[in-house]
Amino acid sequence: MATGKKKGLLFDSTRCIGCGACYLACKERNRLPVTAEDPLADELSAVTYTVVQNRRGRFVRRLCMHCEDPTCASVCPVGALEKTPLGPVVYHPDRCIGCRYCMVACPFGVPRYEWRSRTPRVRKCDLCYDRVAAGLPTACAAVCPTGATRFGDRDELIEEARARIRAEPDRYHPHIYGLEEVGGTSVLLIADVAPENLGYRTDLSAEPLPLLTWNVLKKIPNFVLVGGVLLGGLWWITNRRIAVARAEREALGTNRQTEEGQPSDREEQV
Amino acid sequence: MKIIVRPRITFWRVVAGVIFLSGLYSTYVRFSGGLGASTALSDRFPWGLWVGFDVLCGVALAAGGFTMSAVVYIFHIERFKPIIRPTILTAFLGYLLVIVALLFDLGKPYNIWHPLVMWNPHSVMFEVAWCVMLYTTVLALEFSPLLWERLRWEKPLKVMHALTVPLVILGVILSFLHQSSLGSLFLIVPHRLHPLWYSPLLPVFFFVSALALGCAMTIFESFLSFRAFRKRLELHLLTDLGKVIVGVLALYLTLKLQDLAGRGALRLAFEPTYEGRLFLAEMVLGTIAPMVLLLIPRVRTDDFGLFVSAVMVVLGFIMNRLNVSITGMEASSGVAYFPSWTEISVTMMIVALGFVLFGLAVKYLRVFPPEEVARPAAVELPAPAVLRRLRQGSTAVVATVGGVFLVLVLALGYSGLRLRPTRAWAAPPAAEGDLQRGLEHFTVPPDIVYQRSEASPGTVTFSHASHIDWNRPRCTVCHHQPYSLVTSVSDRSSPRKPPGDMHAEAFCGRCHNGKQAFNVKEDCATCHKGP
Ligand code: SF4
Ligand code: SF4
Repeated sequence: MATGKKKGLLFDSTRCIGCGACYLACKERNRLPVTAEDPLADELSAVTYTVVQNRRGRFVRRLCMHCEDPTCASVCPVGALEKTPLGPVVYHPDRCIGCRYCMVACPFGVPRYEWRSRTPRVRKCDLCYDRVAAGLPTACAAVCPTGATRFGDRDELIEEARARIRAEPDRYHPHIYGLEEVGGTSVLLIADVAPENLGYRTDLSAEPLPLLTWNVLKKIPNFVLVGGVLLGGLWWITNRRIAVARAEREALGTNRQTEEGQPSDREEQV
Repeated sequence: MKIIVRPRITFWRVVAGVIFLSGLYSTYVRFSGGLGASTALSDRFPWGLWVGFDVLCGVALAAGGFTMSAVVYIFHIERFKPIIRPTILTAFLGYLLVIVALLFDLGKPYNIWHPLVMWNPHSVMFEVAWCVMLYTTVLALEFSPLLWERLRWEKPLKVMHALTVPLVILGVILSFLHQSSLGSLFLIVPHRLHPLWYSPLLPVFFFVSALALGCAMTIFESFLSFRAFRKRLELHLLTDLGKVIVGVLALYLTLKLQDLAGRGALRLAFEPTYEGRLFLAEMVLGTIAPMVLLLIPRVRTDDFGLFVSAVMVVLGFIMNRLNVSITGMEASSGVAYFPSWTEISVTMMIVALGFVLFGLAVKYLRVFPPEEVARPAAVELPAPAVLRRLRQGSTAVVATVGGVFLVLVLALGYSGLRLRPTRAWAAPPAAEGDLQRGLEHFTVPPDIVYQRSEASPGTVTFSHASHIDWNRPRCTVCHHQPYSLVTSVSDRSSPRKPPGDMHAEAFCGRCHNGKQAFNVKEDCATCHKGP
């Protein structure tokens, strides 16, 4: 199964029964303490990478969306977050400096922090990177008893989602969440209601957020060159003008004593 | 007139002592207990006072340095030369303090050097990191002649003199990048930052307001050091700076209004919301008021007027940075952030450190032009009465005006705070889910056959189907250790070895205790059915 294709998850809210298997499987695979008796009452935290929530009778999962062009990876100054070719967005704690920009910038508010630690790490779902690389499905998808969470190649999952919507238009809201949001995500979501009813934000454009800053950042090299030349040129021109003016005055035989106020005393201080 | 060597106990020294002691204690809390123990930050609100004030405002202190050196060395407007040194000093201190603040704020301060070798040019933070490193170096070099002078080292002084212009050019470029990049940091959060502050022009706003702050800080410091050391800049230079501030603020205001109107966000400023009030506080008291004040020639040419206007610009600037980094981010985060006392005391310690270092530099290095030292009474001043007032009653007057100013800001701010929405992030009312649709797809996990041990009266087959509450299936009731989930799904083929004494409380006995379900000790044949 370990084809080089991009992997992903398809979450179908209409199939989810809120049994919490994904929640526990995630805890187990990542060796995390179980923090709530009822997974529906838990929240994402430094030791909880996915939860199931009950939103007015619909169950919905929360986890890192594994964006195609991840904002978190784009803002990280040291490249501690990385989008792997297989799809998972993974984290390298030994690179991280702990600036928490990733947490500020993630459009889905996913990354969590080990606030109480002296060597804190950013924590989030890594789409079971080791399992996926070994050709296994993610732990959550492996244990889901209803197929509400499905693992597979992203393009196949998109086809599957489309097929389900086409087959049962009454059962599904036509929007596939994650197909286009912020340039697409590896985690896709379909449901019987619009995604905002499930607590997913719908004000995100299809343009990846990193473009917003890259459009500014990419101008820097140019700016430095042009700015340097410009300032250097300005300095040269003004300097030259002063020198010329002085030379002219000297040529006219002006006594230097009288031009005290003139900026000719550049040896005085820096 | 001999100076007394033994340090006298003055009011300000006591204040500084208290600030440093509490700051040191907070430092201990920060580095022993981590960010969680020392800050009010949380997963929902990862950046607070240390980023918003210490870093964003600290960097802007450098704005005076690069503007003035550009004016003097590149445009050769040399009458501003006496201003260069105090502004370079401020800039240098600003950057040093930013680095100190970063050591507090970074989760892993010992990795602060990572951006040197681990590159991500797509990150604004990466740009910020490099600007901090490079510009601190440039400022250290620009500042160094003051030291060489003091040590009477001719050689480095000569070298530095030759390097001045290239350094200034480098400094101007770095500063431009850095001031604006702090604004660019927030470009990537259009979904989080309130529309009153989010704008594609953020980098421009940050840059322009930093220019105003640079000039205001120069005025502010000149007056403080006059009070403390009788060393200052000449009034006409400061008046000129005041004029520059008017121009810069006017530009800022125009851009801001245009941007707000263009994005249709202008009306938000006048709505009775938390953000609206704090935005007004910032714009009215921090931008419009000082601009109007400085437009009046009588204020501009008066010590006290200049001083107060400069203070307003500085406070307005601080409000702006805090609004962008804190106020504007609160609504979207769903939590109300207020810095913990540890955060506040560390910040105060860093600010106090700045004052102390500035004072030491003014005292021991030639920061202000030497002739001013000899003629402390600032010869150029036409109105001695103004001076006297400044010297004698100034503490009281400054305190009064500062107080009035604070009250105004607090009033606007407080009325804003009262308007702060109390958002409950508790889960919305849980309704029973419609499980039917989901259950259609439910695959009951297969039965598990357990290997029969010697003492066992018969093989046990565990049935998932008979253990599930069909009204509300929940895997979590049983599936924690030892009944692992992930490992069991990967191996369902052969009979399984019982993981321990299944009658024990950790296993079947947990529920089969006679209360939740029949007791394991009752009838063996109920479970041990197999051969
Ligand atoms: S959802 Fe957030 S944390 Fe996950 S990849 Fe996207 S930006 Fe990164
Ligand atoms: S906290 Fe760590 S992972 Fe997140 S942006 Fe900063 S350095 Fe990168």
